[in-house]
Amino acid sequence: MRYMNRDAWLAVFLLLFTGFMFWASFDIREPDYGVLAPSVWPRVILALFGFLSVIFLVQSLRAGPGAAVEGEEDRPSSVKGYLAYWRNPIICFGLFAAYLALLPVLGMLLDGMAFVFVLLCALGGWSARDMAIHAAVAVVTVGGMWSLFTFGLNVLLPTGILVPGL
Amino acid sequence: MILENIMLAFGEVLTLKTFLLMMLGVAGGLIAGAIPGFTIAMAVVLTLPFTFSMPPSQGLATMVSVLVGGLSGGLMAGILTGIPGTPSSVATTFDGFPMARKGKPGLALGLGVWSSFCGGMISAVLLVTLAPQLARVGLEFQPWDYFMLVMFALTITASLAGKNIVKGLMAGALGLLVRTVGEDEAAGMARFDFGSEMLLGGFDFIAVLIGLFAFSQLLNDVRDPVLARKSLSDAGPIKARIEHRAAIREIARRWVIVVRSSFIGTFTGILPGAGGSVANILAYDQAKKSSKHPDKFGTGISDGIIAPESSNNAVEGGALITMMALGIPGDVTTAVMLGALLIHDVVPSPTFISEEPVLAYSIFIAFFIANFIMLFLQSGMLRVFILVTRIRMYFLAAVILGFCGMGVFALNNVDSDLWTLLWFGILGFLMRHFGFPLAPMILGVVLGNIAELNLARAMAIDESITPFFTRPWSLFFLIIALFSAMFPWFQAARGRKKWTLLYLPFACFAACLPLAMMAWQNGSVPRGIIAIVVVTSGAYILAQRWRSGWSLEAHAGPELSEK
Repeated sequence: MRYMNRDAWLAVFLLLFTGFMFWASFDIREPDYGVLAPSVWPRVILALFGFLSVIFLVQSLRAGPGAAVEGEEDRPSSVKGYLAYWRNPIICFGLFAAYLALLPVLGMLLDGMAFVFVLLCALGGWSARDMAIHAAVAVVTVGGMWSLFTFGLNVLLPTGILVPGL
Repeated sequence: MILENIMLAFGEVLTLKTFLLMMLGVAGGLIAGAIPGFTIAMAVVLTLPFTFSMPPSQGLATMVSVLVGGLSGGLMAGILTGIPGTPSSVATTFDGFPMARKGKPGLALGLGVWSSFCGGMISAVLLVTLAPQLARVGLEFQPWDYFMLVMFALTITASLAGKNIVKGLMAGALGLLVRTVGEDEAAGMARFDFGSEMLLGGFDFIAVLIGLFAFSQLLNDVRDPVLARKSLSDAGPIKARIEHRAAIREIARRWVIVVRSSFIGTFTGILPGAGGSVANILAYDQAKKSSKHPDKFGTGISDGIIAPESSNNAVEGGALITMMALGIPGDVTTAVMLGALLIHDVVPSPTFISEEPVLAYSIFIAFFIANFIMLFLQSGMLRVFILVTRIRMYFLAAVILGFCGMGVFALNNVDSDLWTLLWFGILGFLMRHFGFPLAPMILGVVLGNIAELNLARAMAIDESITPFFTRPWSLFFLIIALFSAMFPWFQAARGRKKWTLLYLPFACFAACLPLAMMAWQNGSVPRGIIAIVVVTSGAYILAQRWRSGWSLEAHAGPELSEK
């Protein structure tokens, strides 16, 4: 364990992933026809990926536990620090997941406006002035884009059960 | 026949609607290029959903316009604020910003705009002349050769994409693996579906591209809460008018730099994986080396703006040559263009130009016209582009994320694509965090099916793997794939280790073998001559290095890696 750094742990994870996918490749049915079985190409890729993961593991172990890892400079070490450091991306992912979950209820237009408005406020601030600007931006941009897709490109965007038709 | 196709292509492109869309595309590209942190590839990726409902020629003309606009947009931010809008404009800031600070922002902008235009036009001419010739060569490719070409494209992209080639190759392999999920094309058997309907259908690769590239890039841009709330460029009020006449005079006097840099750009673009960020540094370096006063570079001289701007605009002409002639994307942006062709049911391959001549010529013509539109818009809308750089990053991120959702849904009208976008957004973000380059993965996703299909065809013809090593083209791509895989080690050790002095001569000797085989098998005199030239060059370089006593000092050069 004392030789492990972040990249080494990642390499171990990738090796486990390769093993799991290789095991899953045995579920691929083999038809009686064709020369190249459907499982061959994925296995070739997985064998290569596994081989590269081993090289990556060796590289990481040789670098040692104290080695500076690419992209890891000035990063926090505690869980609280990580949460603060990654606050904005976590908010974005969380709100996007909520946007997808609420899509059948609100429909693309309202859901999109709500998503952009909440995300703007979460990233930019919740003061009354900010909220007014964010609301205007959300309505104009999402409304404009929705109109372009619906009326300009004739794309049927999903409607919600809350306000049918929108 | 060619004239007829050109006329038909003109008819397709020169409609009012297409022309207006191209204007919008160039303007969008210029704005995207002007915004630091907003890459050209991202602009092209985000344009893709709009083009879905358009006819192929119109959609591709719009995307080509975004591409041309994006390549030129970066110079404004670079010259006026010192922050390059795109990695393709990094070298422009070395002399552009000092010149602007010396009180000549109008001349600096003029040089940038006109060099971009000249670079674009020279590469457009090369595109029209070289692509059909290269496509003729491509017609010789059999499945073994095509499979190896894909492997070469992935290897060279991995080697140029980051500091660690292992990570680059792993990203490429992951991209290939992603493409295997769902029913396989040859036998229709389910792969890696784990009983899920969504996985059985496979991942829509446009949703994958937007997730990997745009989604993850935006989250990186807003990672720092303080920077996310700041304007992208906080420079004070900038008053500048482009000095066209003075710029044209300067460029006419330095036409050699323009032509040389445009050639560097075009041939860098032809190479899969190498793009504008490599070309602009290479051209700047060459201009400096061949200058009578290299010490003045970096102080705000014209040569330092003309060289990078001519080359970065010429890159896409080169990338389009590879895409249209061989069906292999030259970089991430042409990978997206290739995706656009696929969603219009056009399969890019060496037969593309002969089978779809009108569409091919439409792309050529669109590339020409887009350069003129770029020149016009950049001159007339300078203030708008400067204003755009004042937008706060979090506004852009939130609005574009909202748009991503709508655009991805519009592709197939299914919710599952939106989840694909989210999962691949997370994956792309994690890959960036762990230092894995995204370009090889994107190429892997785009080329995965092509590679598998050609492997299946090759195996159906001959179950032995020997033809991969005995067919000249296949062997040629294998050899250059191996040398390109070694390139990062060569680059890291160049100027420090003796073995690097042998890299280039040995690459020449090795590449000469399949060329000689082609000449021998086909009785082709030109290829025989090329083989002799290549082997002679290798021998000459080797002799020169031997004569200089294997000295290392003279062989350090610019670092070549895509940003």
